[in-house]
Amino acid sequence: MKCDQTQPLIAPYVDGELDTLRRRFVEKHLKNCAPCAEQHADLVALRQRIRTEVPYFAAAPALAERVRAIVAATPPAGSSGRPHKRERWPRLSVGVSRHWQWLASGAVGGCAATVLAFVAGTAVLDWQASQNVVAQAVTRHVQATLGHRLVDVASSDQHTVKPWLSARLDYSPPVHDLAAEGFPLLGGRLDTLGGRKVATLVYGYRKHTIDVFVQPDSFDMPSSHELRGFNVAHRRAAGWDWLAVSDASPDVLNGFVSQLVSAATAK
Amino acid sequence: MSDHARFEKLVMPHLGAAYNLARWLARDGHDAEDIVQDACIRALKYVDSLNRSEARAWFLTIVRHAFYDWCERNRPADIAHDDGSALEAAVDHNAIDPEQAVLRRAESKAIADAVAELPLAFREVLILREMEDLSYKEIARIADIPIGTVMSRLARARALLQGSPRLRAIGERTSGGER
Ligand SMILES: [Zn+2]
Repeated sequence: MKCDQTQPLIAPYVDGELDTLRRRFVEKHLKNCAPCAEQHADLVALRQRIRTEVPYFAAAPALAERVRAIVAATPPAGSSGRPHKRERWPRLSVGVSRHWQWLASGAVGGCAATVLAFVAGTAVLDWQASQNVVAQAVTRHVQATLGHRLVDVASSDQHTVKPWLSARLDYSPPVHDLAAEGFPLLGGRLDTLGGRKVATLVYGYRKHTIDVFVQPDSFDMPSSHELRGFNVAHRRAAGWDWLAVSDASPDVLNGFVSQLVSAATAK
Repeated sequence: MSDHARFEKLVMPHLGAAYNLARWLARDGHDAEDIVQDACIRALKYVDSLNRSEARAWFLTIVRHAFYDWCERNRPADIAHDDGSALEAAVDHNAIDPEQAVLRRAESKAIADAVAELPLAFREVLILREMEDLSYKEIARIADIPIGTVMSRLARARALLQGSPRLRAIGERTSGGER
């Protein structure tokens, strides 16, 4: 009888979306109609299975740390123009919800540009970075990967990257592609660490990016380190200092640095 | 309150929900982290327009946008024609007792895989409803679709799960083919 009216209401009933009047209507019908009751039971059973068996993926603690590092490295509000100062929730009409479009486009490009301008124009990113080479390295890594200015010279060819860096520094860093070992060279970048211009080699590892800061002077620091959700590996050999930063695991990063060192010292 | 403080107070508590949504949309943990980080930058920029009561749905809206932008850059085919065909297994399982947990795990994996294989438009609505417990109205806002469309997509998602060969195969094995 009332099945036609009831069936469209079963899912909203299960989802708690009905007002009292319609809820009672559905409940009454379910008591007296086996097919509708079965449909209801199926839906409840499915929900139960989803809630108990489909995993709710937990974010790694390192993600929260990284997000905080990103937030700390982003300039405070007011330093950049906002497209819309006070956006409201859209109402449910189609026209109004277009308001949300600005979140979809433009926002991130503008923000990355802001981060870069801030980096270029400001010597001190935060108090920690100014005192600590590791924090500076991590901050540079965050800014480079987020700002999409990952490399100044993009090349997997060490014979391109090395001269490019040498021309801009007072030293000529060892550069080796480790693609065969799973770490392809993506390019090079110039950075400033501890008040000194350094060569940064950028490598890929699966979906991770690894920054390696290479210079002849020594950094005084432990061989591996974890900061704000990023891993840092440090090695000194053959007169060079390697400082690698990535969100890849410490094992991967340490193994990578070892291979880098043996490639550089093999000659 | 500064934007940074507002971000910490209003957005950070929902980082887990953001990651879970991104994880189910992208079906990859590392990609999900990238998407969440991108979403956080956007959220920080606009956090001054945010009211506390709507923080979670607001942030999830941004996560969803960040996902679609990420998709356009990295996996345009996913949006263009997501027909729900199988992708690589999306779920990691940590069984406590392997011997006893085998069948149980097979069942769990079946439904989790079936969810992961839902076409994107249905999957996102289902995740928001079943895992985040959001109302039709909130889902409509987040996905930028009318409430009627939320209901029809949810119904379709559930029908696809109930009809999924993965689940049926399990049902036959555990209950001798009876429903
Ligand atoms: Zn009926």
